Amino acid sequence: MEIQLTINDEPTSAEVGPDDDLATVLRRNGYTGVKCGCDGGVCGASKVFVNDEVRMACGVDARDADDAEIETIESLGSQDDLHPIQEAFVDHFAVQCGFCIPGMIIEAKSLLADNPDPSEAEVREAIDDNLCRCTGYQKPVEAILDAADRLRDDRSVAADGGPEAGPTNGADDGDTDD
Amino acid sequence: MTDEPTDPKPDGGTASQPTTEEPDDFEEHPLEWDEPANNDKAPDERKSVSQPAEKFDDRKLVTGEAKYTADYEERFPDLAHAQVVRSEVSHGRVTAIDTDAAEAMDGVHAVLTPWSDEVPDAKYTSAGQSYPEPSPWDMNVLNEHVRYVGDPVAAVAAEDRETAAAAANAVEVEYEEYDHVVDPEEAFDEDAPQLFDQDEVENEIVGHDYDRNRMSNIEGEIGDVDAALDRDDVHVHETEWETIRQSHAQIEKHTSLAYTDEDDRTVLITSTQVPNHTRRQLAHLFDIPIRDVRVKKPRVGGGFGGKQAMVVEPIPLALSLAADRPVIYEASRDEEFGAMRSRHPMKVRARTAVTDDGEIEAIDLYALSNTGAYGSHGMTVAGNVGSKPMPLYSKVPNARFEADIVHTNTPQTGAMRGYGAPQGTLALEGHLDEVARDLDLDPIEFRRDHYMEVGDLDEIAGMMGGEGAERRIRSCGLDECIERGKAAIGWDDIDQPEEDHLHRGVGMALSAQGTGVAGDELGAAQIMMNEDGSFHLQVGGVDIGTGADTAFIQIAAEVLGCDEDDIIVKSSDTDNTPFDYGAYASSTTYISGMAVKKAAEDAKERILDWASRMLDEPAGNLETEDGEVYSEETGDSVTIEDVGYESVYGHDDREHILGKGTHSTEESPPPFAAQFADVTVDERTGEFEVHKLAVAVDCGVAINPGMAEGQIEGANHMSYEMAVSEGVTVDDEGRAEVSDFDEYGLPSASETPPIESILVETHEPTGPFGAKSVAEVPTNTVPPALSNAVREAVGVRINEMPITAEKIKAKLDER
Ligand code: FES
Ligand code: FES
Repeated sequence: MEIQLTINDEPTSAEVGPDDDLATVLRRNGYTGVKCGCDGGVCGASKVFVNDEVRMACGVDARDADDAEIETIESLGSQDDLHPIQEAFVDHFAVQCGFCIPGMIIEAKSLLADNPDPSEAEVREAIDDNLCRCTGYQKPVEAILDAADRLRDDRSVAADGGPEAGPTNGADDGDTDD
Repeated sequence: MTDEPTDPKPDGGTASQPTTEEPDDFEEHPLEWDEPANNDKAPDERKSVSQPAEKFDDRKLVTGEAKYTADYEERFPDLAHAQVVRSEVSHGRVTAIDTDAAEAMDGVHAVLTPWSDEVPDAKYTSAGQSYPEPSPWDMNVLNEHVRYVGDPVAAVAAEDRETAAAAANAVEVEYEEYDHVVDPEEAFDEDAPQLFDQDEVENEIVGHDYDRNRMSNIEGEIGDVDAALDRDDVHVHETEWETIRQSHAQIEKHTSLAYTDEDDRTVLITSTQVPNHTRRQLAHLFDIPIRDVRVKKPRVGGGFGGKQAMVVEPIPLALSLAADRPVIYEASRDEEFGAMRSRHPMKVRARTAVTDDGEIEAIDLYALSNTGAYGSHGMTVAGNVGSKPMPLYSKVPNARFEADIVHTNTPQTGAMRGYGAPQGTLALEGHLDEVARDLDLDPIEFRRDHYMEVGDLDEIAGMMGGEGAERRIRSCGLDECIERGKAAIGWDDIDQPEEDHLHRGVGMALSAQGTGVAGDELGAAQIMMNEDGSFHLQVGGVDIGTGADTAFIQIAAEVLGCDEDDIIVKSSDTDNTPFDYGAYASSTTYISGMAVKKAAEDAKERILDWASRMLDEPAGNLETEDGEVYSEETGDSVTIEDVGYESVYGHDDREHILGKGTHSTEESPPPFAAQFADVTVDERTGEFEVHKLAVAVDCGVAINPGMAEGQIEGANHMSYEMAVSEGVTVDDEGRAEVSDFDEYGLPSASETPPIESILVETHEPTGPFGAKSVAEVPTNTVPPALSNAVREAVGVRINEMPITAEKIKAKLDER
């Protein structure tokens, strides 16, 4: 069947089979930043926003995504203009192979939207179902804590109407030409 | 490829058959190393090396734009998907396979059985090692004689995953079942079920005895251990240790895409650590000229040794030949746990002879290694149980190591980060802790009296025979590792909890590894200059997520005096990048990095030659920095870009500036780690909480400190898992009981204690800008440090991994 959905602000339609999960459909449509590391619903690599909620895309029946708003890693910054969370991951050497990272960044974005000043324990709790084999979590946790600072700074500058105000740092810049 | 059994060569450091040769002359290992002056730079002279250069692929990784193997799917419109039919019996023979139903399904392009034309008959090993291969050729791509639940017996390719899965389900396999054996000690019995007939193996390894399921036996000794154990002025201590079957659990599953290109060449895009070995292995197995096989490595989502093996590649290749179209095979996570590779579970016995005043007269280790159904890396991993940990105590005069490596009807094992050293380090470091307690010695001072220091000739590393394994120690930061690790954990200042039932303890362990396989590595690189002053760096060295490509860029930029952004790195495409043994044995920065350094120096020499003509200054007066070539005498300069244009468009003379470097060495300097663990145990329940891990590592000069810390923390996390998690358990049929991450104990973010990584800088004169390895040594140390910490806290010893509350409680109850 054909479903209608909005991916990173782009209205689009997709042909889906009865067994397709959302991760498969997104990947087939070029959103290969959505990764698959398990047999479904466990590793966190396929996390995306579905109607503003973080979901493991591999666990969402594609037909249930009809009419949904999807946001994938591709909706955050671009290579030239990273989102502050992405920037923090780069600056903290929190990325090794990178396979788990899109899912972790999506989860971090959700956490920081709800809780702009999390404790270290809250960060660890938030990414508890984002499995990473490479980093030992130390640097990703540091990166997310630093990203929280960066986002708070951005917000206070924006509130002051400072020179950096406005849609800075590539937040929510669409970059989906993958 | 010869059909003759080849002589197994040492790999992974030292293991091989006992040698009858005399030990190398000490003079062959001079302390003075003929180090080029430019290799030893003071910290403030370094422009790129040991700076926090941004990891070059990070931006595409954090934006999701990086391409891993599975992301190439969309480029192949007629791509077929593979599924493998795996044995459901632990041991038996496939008597018939009915493929009719599968073949009749719509969208099925090929169904292969062990008897299909496209499936090679040849025996091989999946171990991606040097050549001749030091692992037995004991498996087939699809197997008639199956030896574990999960052995591949048939494969299908179909237009999509679902169809492939349905077709695989429709394949009917009949078996004649044989008796099986799961326990390695039982497997060793004369009357145990036998996994291999002698004629089912080629390229057998030293010490094999297939009547007893033994694929290899190795031993080595220096001095006279039995005489030392018999002395009446020594205490003989004996302890036994056991380790888990750990999964690599890299988050990207084994994935491989095979096709034939428009030039009729066989191409693999594949998630591998060993592109050149894979090319050779595929060429031999499928009887294709090496030149007609191309192996391309895209971004790789972790390897840890699991991809130092040609685990899946032959299957999509055979299917693509049969289906006459590109085929991708992506293992499931279930297959990752049950049918890919894992760390060899081992039992290790440690014995020492120690005098009253704490002199260690002898160390004797014995390992029984369970290699599972096949023998890949069996002998070499077992060799490293002794040859990595024992040399740490190179001042001990008598040392012996022996290992038996036995087959069982359980999933396959292979190379895994640490490569035998984690098993040996648990035994030795746990054992020494017990001895120190018994003799009332300080555990650190006791070790310090025996561990290696600069200038020592390490003969223990050479005791298993093999060329060049004996080595001179030219850098050693152990003292500083210990001091800084102690400070980080608060060693001298541990507060006990107020509650009477809670007890806190700190434990420590030391470790040494190697840097590459001594005498058995090769790396190569070339650099092409562009007229705008940028460079293409083509290197065989394999970045599997470690950051190697970035380290290569930093090394080249340091030599060339240019910005990191001016270097475009391309690694690991066997058609377009020079040869490399691959990413294993902690060799990449040291071996491939040195090749990069030599290539950059070669290019720099040509740059200086051109600049000398342009500036009319002798090349000897010239140096490069910040993108310029300047005269140290006159201060005159040209930009590297000017040289780039002049060299290709010059009026009088022209040259494309190309640098090449190739590196191979007999050296394998040890990096060192001092691990500390801080734990509180509840004596009522045995439950424990690890507050912190601290680990200080001497990796020489860290080319990129942030990346090096990341390696340490990731390795320590993996090591922590070895200490507290069950790994892949098997049932009494040998079947893996773990099928997905929720059943496997990969410690999550909140289950992992904070890890403090500490870099202790030394200078290793044989390495590029003083570097030696970092990625493996911190994989070895948490199990003994945590076992020692628990012992300190509540006085009980857990020898058998994992350390669990139940085991602690049981031991407490026994007292
Ligand atoms: S693939 Fe979706 S959570 Fe693992
Ligand atoms: S960076 Fe490799 S799995 Fe997280």
